[in-house]
Amino acid sequence: MLFPTVEYALFFLAVLAIAWSLYRFKTVHKLFLLLASYVFYGLWNWSYLPLLIGISLFSGLVAQRIQKSQTHRARKGWLVAGVIVCLSTLGYYKYTSFLMTTMLQVWSRFGTPPHVEVYSPLLPLGVSFFVFHAISLLADCYRNKVKEPVKIADALLYVAFFPQLIAGPILRASRFLPQLAVRRNPNALRINRAFLLIVGGLFKKVILSNMLATRLVEPVFAVPQSYGAWDTLLAIYGYAAQIYCDFSGYTDIAIGCALLLGYRFPRNFNAPYTAADPQEFWRRWHISLSTWLRDYLYFPLGGSRKGSLRTYFNLMITMLLGGLWHGAAWTFVAWGGLHGGYLVVHRLWSRIGWRPLVRWRATTAWKWMARILLFHAVCLGWVFFRASTFDLAFQVLGQLRVPGLATLATGPVVLVLFLGLAGQWMPARWRNGFEVEMGRWPALARGAAVAVAIAAIEMLGPTGVAPFIYFQF
Amino acid sequence: MLKITHSIRQLSLVVAGFVAVSLLLESDGLAHWADRLEPGPLRTVAAPTTQAIEKTLAPLGVGALRDAALKNLARVGWSDDEALLAEVTTEAGGGKSGPAKSTGLNSAGSSACVTTSAAAAGYAGTSGAGSSGAGAASAGAAGTGSASTSTGNGIAHAPGADVPLANDVPKTLSLAPLPPVEPGKPRVVALAGDSMMAVGLSATLMRQAAGDKNLRIVKAFKSGTGLARPEVYNWMDEYPAMVGAEKPDVVIVAIGANDGQGFVVDHKVLAYGTDAWRQVYQDRVADFLAMVSAGGARVVWVALPPMRVPVYDEKINAINRIAYTVVSQSPQAVWWNPVSLVADDQGKFREFETEANGQAMRMRSTDGIHLSDEGAGKLTALLMKWLDPPSPPPPRGTAQPAPAASAGAAEPQAAAHDAVAHKRRPRKTVKGQSARG
Repeated sequence: MLFPTVEYALFFLAVLAIAWSLYRFKTVHKLFLLLASYVFYGLWNWSYLPLLIGISLFSGLVAQRIQKSQTHRARKGWLVAGVIVCLSTLGYYKYTSFLMTTMLQVWSRFGTPPHVEVYSPLLPLGVSFFVFHAISLLADCYRNKVKEPVKIADALLYVAFFPQLIAGPILRASRFLPQLAVRRNPNALRINRAFLLIVGGLFKKVILSNMLATRLVEPVFAVPQSYGAWDTLLAIYGYAAQIYCDFSGYTDIAIGCALLLGYRFPRNFNAPYTAADPQEFWRRWHISLSTWLRDYLYFPLGGSRKGSLRTYFNLMITMLLGGLWHGAAWTFVAWGGLHGGYLVVHRLWSRIGWRPLVRWRATTAWKWMARILLFHAVCLGWVFFRASTFDLAFQVLGQLRVPGLATLATGPVVLVLFLGLAGQWMPARWRNGFEVEMGRWPALARGAAVAVAIAAIEMLGPTGVAPFIYFQF
Repeated sequence: MLKITHSIRQLSLVVAGFVAVSLLLESDGLAHWADRLEPGPLRTVAAPTTQAIEKTLAPLGVGALRDAALKNLARVGWSDDEALLAEVTTEAGGGKSGPAKSTGLNSAGSSACVTTSAAAAGYAGTSGAGSSGAGAASAGAAGTGSASTSTGNGIAHAPGADVPLANDVPKTLSLAPLPPVEPGKPRVVALAGDSMMAVGLSATLMRQAAGDKNLRIVKAFKSGTGLARPEVYNWMDEYPAMVGAEKPDVVIVAIGANDGQGFVVDHKVLAYGTDAWRQVYQDRVADFLAMVSAGGARVVWVALPPMRVPVYDEKINAINRIAYTVVSQSPQAVWWNPVSLVADDQGKFREFETEANGQAMRMRSTDGIHLSDEGAGKLTALLMKWLDPPSPPPPRGTAQPAPAASAGAAEPQAAAHDAVAHKRRPRKTVKGQSARG
């Protein structure tokens, strides 16, 4: 079930009605949401349901063992065992063929490798996300960030909760389990915010992302040779806007749905293209992943506490693995490497204490130059992220030198590209103000307004709904 | 200070307002959504319910307003629905593409529907660049649109579709040579189909054809579509709109990955795989083939490759047999089966191929359905050689073209005859090669 479908709307309305009718019975309420989550996942592919249940059950049991262990060594032992099992599962499904083909490539440099049938298991939907949830549960218990004893039912629901199951945001066990420990409070619902998030998310996904994909990005990345510099540049900008609208649209809908059910998810995007440096970009882009990598990978590696060189190494390792998490391909590793490089260069640049430079870096002019520079550096990374091979990525970049008109820059394309990028500069107070304004309307009118908005989005969107980009990860 | 205190009552009222207005604005779209569902319990409940709602609310005229809005969106270039764009262009008197549409705006109305059926997207649609949800003829039109005769039960039959189902499909890759390309008149090649064409095959072929002055590629593919469910996506409307004013010399077709599903004809559910289903589907394939070859185009029907999941592979086998049964009846079409290029020695699914240097090359995408770029490249290399063969070095002291080629180019009738002859030739080869697999 994709979010922007009638099937999901019917499913969600049914879940919403039943969940709130059961909210007084905390355990039943949670079990119902768990069942609904399994139905949601099972409708994609029932055969992977045992894996989802298995991973969440395993992580719940190990989390309990960690909490019950008396010695630091035992706790660490359980943590390491749990993380190994989780990562092995992810590795098996996601990286088996990647490792085998890479080994064969390396071997063939030195001689003819033996004949090996490369095996590649079918990738279960959302496996990268639910494995990261499982690891978060283990790590937060190990660090004593989960204060209450973990209940198995809570662990199962934390990993499988349907709004975040397929593509995040990646929840922290330490922040989500306490929500499961208390009864839902119907008087703390932010209905208007939830509906604004859902409508905004649909707008970004159905109109902006889909139109950019079908009319600008896909044609150019399919046959780069057919397009000149302007079309190629627009397609690269277009992909930057598309992936933001696609993914942030998805998570906005997820956050909105969870909010209507009475649960709070963390913000996942915060106007990332307004960032003026790579560090700020990663505080604004896919926040739940970047903080996950920071807390569970970068910090355990030593973070910035072990000297400059080690910091740079840690940054690179974190970003390379972050890239690999997105997909089993060297293009993703290159994307991660580029971002690791940006972070290292920025650190080096920031350390230069020459006074005129320090003063210049504080000016508005530099801020804007830095924003533009960073945006283009990010766009360069997106080319490798989007292209299936290095050849294709370099071909796209090479077309930037080929003269040619912007043949794809039709009015609608330019408009959605502008909205996709410039929309991030919309002041937060506008949305907050609108939320307050909506609060003054009668409830029926609010529902009617949401219906009109969704009908308009449906009419303005291209035919069909492309799957969300992040589903593949 | 934001007002954050709400009650379940308020939430209920908001949802009630949402549902009421959604029904009012979208009753039309909901009825189409239900129509597009694969036969099953959900459709059994949803179809009559949404039709009743649509009927009740129809007098309010919201559907007409919506249709008018969609037309206006198409006029300003917002819509991407080829059939609707063609209709608007025709109405405006431009008449550039001019395909006569058998369906009205209702088809376009539903085509813009966000509410894509997951069932309609089917297997292949889920990993394609886009999915279905596209235009639909009214259920009554049920997949016809080409010149066809009609039987008593309202199901249209294209001539020659009522032939016995082939027991197996040949594994041939033979293609009779095309007449040489005339200078300054590139060969127009339409790439038609669902995601089996859209993913891998089309992009690889277009990349190889880029800069080739002898070829002009026309994109006529859409992911998440098929021939089984014209109420979901009607190729009989969409293909002419996609091709527009172009007159393809060659049409390469790869379609059918989403067609392993039941459908409803005249309020009767035809379950996948039944004789009645096969009959209707075969007709639809025949209609489609008749349409794409109507302008005299040579059609290369690319057989669907073996699939990873056995149940799905069985379905694809059945789809291939039906398609071959139809294709083998057409003098203009050639069955082209790349199984020897992409499958293992037993003709089974193979995800990776080991190259001579020991390295593994991915032949199929990770979904186990579509071709990877490398896998597609093996097909397109052959297709490109056929579409635009490298010119042989001119014999010394003469610029005379080969007699057979010049005859084919100069005499259209002879060329057509030649095409028939070419068509028959590979079939002979078929029998010889089919034993291989």
